Amino acid sequence: MKPLSILIVDDDLALLEALPEALRLRMGGVTVETADSAATALDRMADRDYDAIVTDIRMPGMDGLKLLDEIRTRQPDTPTLIITGHGDNDLAVHALRGGARDFIQKPIDRDYFVAALYRAIRDHVTTLRSKERQVAMESWADELERIVEKLEGELRAMTGQDQP
Amino acid sequence: VTAPPEVATLRETVSPKLGGGETVEAGASHLRARVETLERRLHERDEQRRAMLHIMGDLNESNKRLATQRKAMIHILADYEHDRRRLALQAERLDNSRRALLHILQDSHRDNLRLEASRKAMIHIMGDLRETTIEVKRREQELRDKQEQLVQAGKLATLGELTTGVAHELNNPLNNIGLFVGNAVDLVELGARDKGRIVREMERAMQQVRKATEIISHLRTFGRAAPFSRDPVSLRVVLMQALSLMREQLRLRDIQVTVDLGAGEPVVLGNPLQLEQVFINLLTNARDAVADSPRKAIHISVAVGSQAAEITFADTGPGIPPGLERRIFDPFFTTKQVGQGTGLGLSITYGIIKDLGGMISVVSPPGEGATFLIRLPLAPLDPKESQQ
Repeated sequence: MKPLSILIVDDDLALLEALPEALRLRMGGVTVETADSAATALDRMADRDYDAIVTDIRMPGMDGLKLLDEIRTRQPDTPTLIITGHGDNDLAVHALRGGARDFIQKPIDRDYFVAALYRAIRDHVTTLRSKERQVAMESWADELERIVEKLEGELRAMTGQDQP
Repeated sequence: VTAPPEVATLRETVSPKLGGGETVEAGASHLRARVETLERRLHERDEQRRAMLHIMGDLNESNKRLATQRKAMIHILADYEHDRRRLALQAERLDNSRRALLHILQDSHRDNLRLEASRKAMIHIMGDLRETTIEVKRREQELRDKQEQLVQAGKLATLGELTTGVAHELNNPLNNIGLFVGNAVDLVELGARDKGRIVREMERAMQQVRKATEIISHLRTFGRAAPFSRDPVSLRVVLMQALSLMREQLRLRDIQVTVDLGAGEPVVLGNPLQLEQVFINLLTNARDAVADSPRKAIHISVAVGSQAAEITFADTGPGIPPGLERRIFDPFFTTKQVGQGTGLGLSITYGIIKDLGGMISVVSPPGEGATFLIRLPLAPLDPKESQQ
């Protein structure tokens, strides 16, 4: 299994030092990349797919909510988490409605953050798997349908032959 | 003198009788004596007559003179009569004048009474005025106290305004401290051999602690109700401090701030906290003004003259509606929505600037945003001089 890759977007350079280190320490073997603005983040996304994107909500230029919209348009499947300031509940709800997988309040509780990140990725994987299974189930159902039809045909033929 | 005719007749009558001797002689002498007497008398009479004639002449003269004098008298009388009438007339006039004077005197008396009454009233009024003055002074003191309270209230309101932005600003270093320290803890727990890595995390945490301390100490100083001193204050330093408090808010709102400090290093007499409040108020106003503008910019410039420093705050907001330029400095006047502004910011700003002997005005040409201009007198060159 290839290592998880995560993109962190924030305009606070100190956070871009602290948070990746925390993730590396807590989530063994994870690859963390950083972007100090939404525009840089979109550039990075063009180059590769991430397993999750974490973005701050308040940023000059394009803010976290607008970046979320862009991500939903470009890579709707990539789970996105939003970091909000303490008490920014309205913004958090806004972000969830806009398609964010979860929100993390500052100051960040590392356990909560890592758990939320894992959950988001797992949910994402589960969703993908269930989608795949759904597709498989549907194709199996089609096949079954065909088998049933075939059997019914054969049955009719047999009983037809029996009847004079 | 010729004898009168009767004397001759007498002589003729007497002479025939004298023929009789001595008797005649005696008669004759007697007659002569009589004639002599008569002649003497005649002479006397004649004398008298002449005297009478003289007297008559004199009398005539006198008469004439009297007539002339009478005429003169009549003239004089006429004149006198004329004078008398004139005098009567004058007397009448005088009487009228006298009456008029009496009236005037009465009036004047009444006026005097009135004056006296007025004077008493004046004394009352003066007394009232003195009381009123005392009352006014008391009210003024009260007003000053209220103003000071208002300034403090306004400061706290400004502080409240700032808190949202600052809380966010403070939250960031706090968050980073938590992360850096957490990383260090993790490293220790994981038994990391690389001490340098742990120390690096701790040092970064310390850096963030310093950042937070800076923000807090600044806020604490600003919120303190300090007695307002007058010290030489560097405009540049105060302006930069105000900007540092607002920077994060302005940055997050994409508001471009340009500062043109000019060549000089203006120093004014004032209180750094008060001046900072002025700048924060103006920056907050500009921040809110440009919120919905396509181009969000605030330009601050400082210029120094020979007597005063001028600071302008120009924004790219919608400007001030015509007719409101004066009212915007009134207390509790606000164009912001209920709950968004106290309406105290600019009135407090105005009060502070007036207190420092400066002036503040605003221009807002249509379509060009608003520009606030502050003029503050420069501090005297010798700082010791200004403290006295």
